[in-house]
Amino acid sequence: MTSLLSLERITKAYPGVLANDAVDFAVERGEIHALLGENGAGKSTLMKVLSGLTKPDSGQIVWKGDETTISSPQGSKALGIGMVHQHFALFDGMSVGENIALGLGGQLDDTRRTRIIEMSEKYGLPLDPDALVFTLSAGEKQRIEIVRALLGEPELLILDEPTSVLTPQEADALFATLRLLRDEGRGLVFISHKLNEVRALCERATILRGGKVVATCVPAEKSAEEIAEMMIGTRPVPTAKGQQNLGDVALEVKDLRTKDVRVPALAVRRGEIMGVAGVAGNGQEALYAYLSGEDLAPQANAIWLNGVEAGRSGPSQRRALGGAFVPEERLGHAAVPDFSLIDNTLLSNLGTDGFQRRGLINWTLTREHATEICDGYDVRHAGVTGRAASLSGGNLQKFIVGRELIKQPEVLVVNQPTWGVDMGSATNIRDQLKALAESGSALLVISQDLDELFDLADRLCVLNHGHLSEAKPTHEWTAETLGVAMTGDVQEQAA
Amino acid sequence: MIRIVPRTQFGFWATAFPLLLAFSITVVVGFLVMVAMSEQPLSDTWTLLTFPWQARTASVQWGFVLQKSSYLAIMAVGLSIGFRANVWNIGAEGQFAFGSIAAFAAYLLFGMPDTTWFLPVMLLFGILGGIAWALIPAALRVWANTNELLTSLMLVYVAANVLNYVTTGPWKGDPKAGQAESDPIHESLRIASIIERTDFHWGVIISAGAILVLAFVVLFTTFGYSLRVAQNTPRAQKFAGFSPQMTVWMSFALSGATAGLAGAIFLSAETGKLIQSENYLNGLGFTAIVIAFLGRLHPIGIVAAALLISYVNVGATYVQSASQVDDAVADLVQVTALFAVLGTAFLSQYRIVFGKADLSTEGAV
Repeated sequence: MTSLLSLERITKAYPGVLANDAVDFAVERGEIHALLGENGAGKSTLMKVLSGLTKPDSGQIVWKGDETTISSPQGSKALGIGMVHQHFALFDGMSVGENIALGLGGQLDDTRRTRIIEMSEKYGLPLDPDALVFTLSAGEKQRIEIVRALLGEPELLILDEPTSVLTPQEADALFATLRLLRDEGRGLVFISHKLNEVRALCERATILRGGKVVATCVPAEKSAEEIAEMMIGTRPVPTAKGQQNLGDVALEVKDLRTKDVRVPALAVRRGEIMGVAGVAGNGQEALYAYLSGEDLAPQANAIWLNGVEAGRSGPSQRRALGGAFVPEERLGHAAVPDFSLIDNTLLSNLGTDGFQRRGLINWTLTREHATEICDGYDVRHAGVTGRAASLSGGNLQKFIVGRELIKQPEVLVVNQPTWGVDMGSATNIRDQLKALAESGSALLVISQDLDELFDLADRLCVLNHGHLSEAKPTHEWTAETLGVAMTGDVQEQAA
Repeated sequence: MIRIVPRTQFGFWATAFPLLLAFSITVVVGFLVMVAMSEQPLSDTWTLLTFPWQARTASVQWGFVLQKSSYLAIMAVGLSIGFRANVWNIGAEGQFAFGSIAAFAAYLLFGMPDTTWFLPVMLLFGILGGIAWALIPAALRVWANTNELLTSLMLVYVAANVLNYVTTGPWKGDPKAGQAESDPIHESLRIASIIERTDFHWGVIISAGAILVLAFVVLFTTFGYSLRVAQNTPRAQKFAGFSPQMTVWMSFALSGATAGLAGAIFLSAETGKLIQSENYLNGLGFTAIVIAFLGRLHPIGIVAAALLISYVNVGATYVQSASQVDDAVADLVQVTALFAVLGTAFLSQYRIVFGKADLSTEGAV
């Protein structure tokens, strides 16, 4: 029997990265097939190929035995492929029924309304077509997306991290629905980071790493540790770093509990780089926001900078205490795209001596400083009056990191220091971070790139579902233990 | 094939081309409107466009142009600061009214002093009155998360009714006047003309000075910097340590201050007394919103737009009386210009390319 869908040797290259490298992937009828991999392993690219958003450079798409091409999302839908995206595409001010009708094209009439109710009852997806979307929970919104996809009568349904927004109860209900769909003979692709779910739900799993298929297995027959190791791979285990002269604690978090993150304890010493590993979307943004002061902690004594309570202090006050911060997003967060490099230099230097006096900006000094940053940190630019958005990703990142490094901060918090940056710039930035730590500063680096963390960090902790684990010296971690800590159940760990 | 491609380079042409296009569209549509409304469209259009030069009383006409544009420009510059930071105060008309009321209140409060030295106090109170009225929608937005578009607009009508109340109630003046109005302020407190018998008065200079002060604030102070950061990049604003709520407060305060100042100048220079709202408020605060966008929220652009629109208005007023062409033609021209400027604005970010797609230079879309 031919497979429902079979991808053969799909290859897709983006500048500087081979996102899919001769990927083979097949889904049968009546099967829930897991697609696993770290961030950047190539899952999204593969799904984009299937939904017609991108065209592979080479390789074949075989649908029910016939070779085909998918050139647009409409073409994908017409073929019989349905997608439920991780991020909902719903209009908050409209009703459930209107949203569904909009996705299918056309009006909400009585036949549609009946179909929606039929469909939601049949598959255990309770929905009120007249409820307004903004009143619904994440789980209910997801049901809208699923019903919308099902109304297109797809033979293959792709779900991109469907449980990431659900409570455990909602997830169980979703699994019942998915099994029902499977038993009808549809094919399902289930993308997830949660290995226990995959082991319970999926018949087969395809594991991607670095754009390649590394294994296809029956997940129930493997342990979570084994799967994690396949995802992450065996890396050269970092050796213990030489004896360091660590100073006292410069950045400390004590029992920080908010709705996004829970940090029981974290202490970073002078001269040390603390790495925070974790799959994207597990609270990295929130952790950065609480450490930088963009969000305030519930209590002042939850965060300490240089021995001073700083939990309720804003970014400017924390900078005054010796902190410096590099957010993940370059344009729109760390820099204003339409501002010149001079204007952007001021962004994190408003409290620095000499840049302003009684509310008046010293533009001469700011301009000199911008030039110093560019010269000192190898930022290639067409002039400091040029817009930040005109710099390449790597050069802008060197500018943003350099803007903080030049202050020789006592504490530096960096979120994704080299995300989307070319190799040369990434190496340059990492060397600079190491040099700062050697000079006696305390660094905290949040990253999804494990190689980067193994290279940089003296100690590592893991962020999973917003929970920050205890830190251990980097060489004590193995790919297995790290994989489990990143993807396992938080409750189990806590117990 | 025609395609729209994001601009990668932003030269002079990226700014000039859309404006030239908008200007051409306005001229063409404006002329078509004249054809529809007038019996001798050519000569009437000519008159409309050249009237302030040709009139026997040219200095008077230019006085009108400067006077009207000064009110529009000062208010539009104040509004544009908030608009840039996504704070939508559309109630300048009400803040203008409150500026006038507060200036008059100061006059009464200090015992109706008969000296020009008191004028700055009146202007100061006008500014404070405008700020106070503007801070109501700011407070509602910050504390109750209310949409400031609605509240600031609604408060215009409240302010108009307050004006009606004071002119018919506590501050009611001559009962034989054909309208509800207060007693006039002393002649010494009236802002004087710079050129005899024209409307080119010292208020125009005060407004120009205020615009320079605002430009300085935006370009050279950390507060102005914070407003520029706030524009479209609220996260960068947090990164820098600015409070988004402070942006709301200060945007409203600044736009309220400029509208209040305009209201106080108007009271002193034009009427010399408060009058019931129908005869006192003439939509300057609303036109200022249009001017702010016509000038692309840039101080220089705003001053240019204010002068241009005032110029057309003066011509249109004359053509109305001379050739019975409705002076709505001025409003039509103004609206056409607004649509043309907004409609072509995207050309400063994108360019239109004719011909086949060259995929090598563009990312996959």
